[in-house]
Amino acid sequence: MEGAFSFVEKLVLTIGIFVVLSSFIFELWRRLRIVFKGRDSLPFDRFGTRIWRVIKESFFHEKIIGGRFWPGLMHGLVFWGFIVFGLVTLDHFAIGYDHPLMSDSTHKNYSYIVIPFSILVLIGITTLTYRRFITRPKALGEISLTSGLVAVFITVLMVTYLLGEMKLSPLVWRVNWWLHTITIMAFIVLIPRSKHLHLVLAPINIFFKPFEQESHTPVDINLEGSEDELDAMLSDLTRMTKNQALDIFSCVECGRCLDVCPASRGGGILDPKNHFILDLRQPLLDRGDVDVLSNINVEAGWECTTCLACTEVCPVGNQVEKSDEIRRLEVLVEGKVPQEYQKLFMNLQESGNTEGATSSPLAERLPKYTPDKEYLLWLGCFARYEMDPNFTKSVENFTKILDVAGISYGILENEHCSGDPANRLGDKLTYTMLREHNMEQLSDVKKVVTHCPHCALNLEKEYAKYAEVNYKVEHHSQVIGQLINEGRIVVRKGNKGKVTYHDPCNLSRMLDEVDAPRTAIQATSENFFELEESGRNTLCCGAGGGLWWKKETTGRTHLVRAEQVVESDADTVVTGCNFCYGMMNQGLKPLTPETRSEIQVKDIADMVAENLVENAKDSSVS
Amino acid sequence: MKIAVLVKQVPGAESPLPILADQKWVDESAVAYVMNESDNYALEEALHIKEVNGDGEVVVASLGPSRIQKVIREALAKGADRAIHIEMETPGAIDPLATASHFAQALKDENFDLIFSGLQSDDVGMGQTGVILGEMMGMATASLAMATEVGDGKIKVKRELEAGWFQWVSLTLPASITIQSGLNTPRYPSLKGIMGAKRKEIKVIEPSDNDSMQSLEKIYVPQSDKQTVMIEGSVDQMVEKLIDAFRNDIKVL
Amino acid sequence: MDILIILEDNNGKIHRMGLESIAAAQKMADSLGFSMGAVVLGSNADVLAEEASEYNIGEVIKINDSLLGSYSADGYAEAVKQIIEQEAPTYVLFGHSYQVRDYAPKVSAKMMKPLLVDNVAVNMDGEKVVFTKQMFNAKLFSDVTPSGEGPCLVSFQSAAFSSEAAETGSATIRDASVNLDASMIKTESEDPFQEEAGGVDLSSAELIVSIGRGIGKEENIPLAQSLAAALGAELASSRPVVDAGWLPSAHQVGSSGQSVSPKMYLALGMSGAIQHVVGMKGSKNIVAINKDPEAPIFEISDYGVVGDIIEIIPKLTDALKGV
Repeated sequence: MEGAFSFVEKLVLTIGIFVVLSSFIFELWRRLRIVFKGRDSLPFDRFGTRIWRVIKESFFHEKIIGGRFWPGLMHGLVFWGFIVFGLVTLDHFAIGYDHPLMSDSTHKNYSYIVIPFSILVLIGITTLTYRRFITRPKALGEISLTSGLVAVFITVLMVTYLLGEMKLSPLVWRVNWWLHTITIMAFIVLIPRSKHLHLVLAPINIFFKPFEQESHTPVDINLEGSEDELDAMLSDLTRMTKNQALDIFSCVECGRCLDVCPASRGGGILDPKNHFILDLRQPLLDRGDVDVLSNINVEAGWECTTCLACTEVCPVGNQVEKSDEIRRLEVLVEGKVPQEYQKLFMNLQESGNTEGATSSPLAERLPKYTPDKEYLLWLGCFARYEMDPNFTKSVENFTKILDVAGISYGILENEHCSGDPANRLGDKLTYTMLREHNMEQLSDVKKVVTHCPHCALNLEKEYAKYAEVNYKVEHHSQVIGQLINEGRIVVRKGNKGKVTYHDPCNLSRMLDEVDAPRTAIQATSENFFELEESGRNTLCCGAGGGLWWKKETTGRTHLVRAEQVVESDADTVVTGCNFCYGMMNQGLKPLTPETRSEIQVKDIADMVAENLVENAKDSSVS
Repeated sequence: MKIAVLVKQVPGAESPLPILADQKWVDESAVAYVMNESDNYALEEALHIKEVNGDGEVVVASLGPSRIQKVIREALAKGADRAIHIEMETPGAIDPLATASHFAQALKDENFDLIFSGLQSDDVGMGQTGVILGEMMGMATASLAMATEVGDGKIKVKRELEAGWFQWVSLTLPASITIQSGLNTPRYPSLKGIMGAKRKEIKVIEPSDNDSMQSLEKIYVPQSDKQTVMIEGSVDQMVEKLIDAFRNDIKVL
Repeated sequence: MDILIILEDNNGKIHRMGLESIAAAQKMADSLGFSMGAVVLGSNADVLAEEASEYNIGEVIKINDSLLGSYSADGYAEAVKQIIEQEAPTYVLFGHSYQVRDYAPKVSAKMMKPLLVDNVAVNMDGEKVVFTKQMFNAKLFSDVTPSGEGPCLVSFQSAAFSSEAAETGSATIRDASVNLDASMIKTESEDPFQEEAGGVDLSSAELIVSIGRGIGKEENIPLAQSLAAALGAELASSRPVVDAGWLPSAHQVGSSGQSVSPKMYLALGMSGAIQHVVGMKGSKNIVAINKDPEAPIFEISDYGVVGDIIEIIPKLTDALKGV
């Protein structure tokens, strides 16, 4: 720390700071203004939990390191270095006014911390630069100029800092000081104009991230409404929410979403990073407003399985998936619906179920619900209309478990499709019809149990977006898990083979249930092992988002997970969702080599029922 | 360009078809109805021509009891401008001469440039109404169109022929064309279309008096002799019996 | 005469459906004691008349008119109408071909006489002659009768009668003429052409050879292809075969593939899984070959063979080539 700065220097410094900060604020405000035009409001509920989440994900880099260990850790070095440098930077500018913030001794002591960190930052930024510019993983996309600049800036900053701590001649020290200062100023100018805005926005975005997934806005359709009401509602469909707009500006272009996307991994064109986020950035800036959702690539939008892996993995808290937004525009505004889905929607409208069926042998066999029964057993179209005939046995295995545990249950005679396919495919009108019908049927029901996570998600969370829901919904694995934990049923470890579990994306991510199925399965198997990508990081089976009904089977979205199961060498794969069950059944057979025996596909209820110890202790009537 | 599209409401592919006790028809109260598939394609083709032309009118015409208003509304929701509903009960009605006569009466003052209809209905499947109507109204006709091109007072259609062959035919207007499924991608009614359809005109008219020239004596389930014939013997014997079945029973050789 | 058969030209030979109409007419004539005659028209009328005269059909009426040189709906409809007026038959028989579907309804309209189409059988046991037609996508049958006096126009479905059942014999040839005017013909046709078999359109295929997982491995696919070629059939498969990458998805039949309703569906090494069955249960005849006697496919088949398809297919192919 040498010599006083001249008046001219201080003047230049002041002007510089002013210009740079103005530029920063201007660009930041330009984007925030657009965010504030978005629909709905930013959430502040559960404040403490939100703060804690920011600390975990931002400060402790939970998803950044979790998703990609080494690059994440290297980024962490740079990040923590930045934090440590905060005080140093303020002090640096204060020095420019000949008014250092720290005393000599504080400065020296603090440098014992900062110098090692600056080395770590250099290591971090060097490895990351190598990865980005030499190794060039696909997810990072095209060469990024701003990343190059930032790499240069950070390196210069670290080097000039270290030099500044050494004994230098006054001139060299001064030049070094100015170099550091100009680099910081350039950095500040660059930040809001590039993806490096995440420096500011990521913690904020993580704070505002919705707790409920999915968080798509409900589409309230009033058929009796006026034409003006309808027009207003339809034009609203092109508008993003505040949260969504904030997401677009927070995106750090890391491509984790692309890496996990099952449609992309199955050979489709869908690239969540670009199609759902970055394609919308320039339109937002150009329009200065949020009504840009029609810029989403339509073909990519139809490929999405709505599994939310992209949202789960995003390190800056983005709700990436936007298939709902583009599909609803295509269906409600444009009337452009792929043929196979037109048939599906017609079936739902005409017969109240996805298959256009008029009778269900399974439904006829099961007891009917009356208010004295403990649970309403919700079947769902898949089970009810035997979309995979083997699954019927799984439903009956579950009822057997309920019988043994002495739990009473009944089904709805007039159960219509929960509406999940219509909801996910953008036909909110058909969804409204089904939802209203079902809500009426469920008016005196208190507890619902179902083996279909898609139904559970809709009955519990999606319906609640439109009207108050008076019943609680459980997935059958949750009921079974509880029965086992409470000792109300006894299960033996009868399965000796290698057993694994495929987490259904709707159950693990959207309903946040990963433990109950494991309780049930591990109680019945000696040799349980986890698949790669399990729990909340599960890889979707490919049937979600209405894709079960998709005709053209170009691409292998439906096979990627099946391939993983085959490679895992499991004897049995257990699933907790009828669609996953069906997909495993279809996918495993052609992929299993001839030399290996067939991999068994079972539902959680199958595993438990097969290993149930049926005591005479409880002979209650269901 | 004024285009009429004949649409029919028929039982859906998965609908139950319970036969009435007198075997004269199916019990309509138990049937799930939809728009006839090839009519849907015909409608889309007409709407497409209107859009490409920039102006014109697409009028939907349909014959049947009050329940058919559902498919009429569907057609209006997809973009047809107005509709004509010849209201009459139609159990066991199979005669295309009678049907076409009703339409000829209803449409005679409209001066359509084109009449489109599906090549046949998924219920009785006579496949004649569109051609007969065209003939009755003095129009040129063509059937099983797989593509259309309108221009210069003519319409060119790509007729489907046997075994993967096609033929382009040029017709002077006015013309009546029957449309084959698959030639385009039918649209789904947009929400705005559905709401707007409520306000579009459906002119309900009385049918004229027309005698039927062919009638349905009875309708019945074919003898499901799905007694699977198991063919046995040595490989050579089985092959021989298969060839025999192909030639003499199934008649594909 | 009482029964008039309209024969169709297939490049200088009588179209197979024409021969089937002859068989039908002979059966009806036999049962009802009716006389027969056949009509040939178009540019190949002379050649067709020669061929027709070798069948036991009474008379062959030959129409040569320059305006009938190439097919037009107006030309043919008017010509046939006039011949019918000249001959005053009770029944006029057609084969239900693409051409007949195009012009026969016009004849019906011109004469205001009914056209009973696409019949699969005719029954002369009762008081009235009753024709049987499929309805509701072949889920139901119907008995149809014409009202009023003749002529009644009738078309029979392909292979409702067998062309080989047409009895040979001899028939006299007579020329007839019709009164046509160029202004009657409101269409202009180009030459027919064949389209590149790019997409596999199974939905309109008459014959399909379909393979399931039982085909075993990719190397066996050519066996099935040869069989299909020998039968003149399209090749299809169930989803697992496509998923394994052995055939492109265009061949897939089933709930997530195409729906088919061929005259014959030959299911090789297929279990009969429901996702597949829903795509092919509309087939008129299902023949299944599978080594598992319990395979569900046998429940919906008309003919079943329990055996090893790898053994049977080549032998079947050879036998077909010899046919």
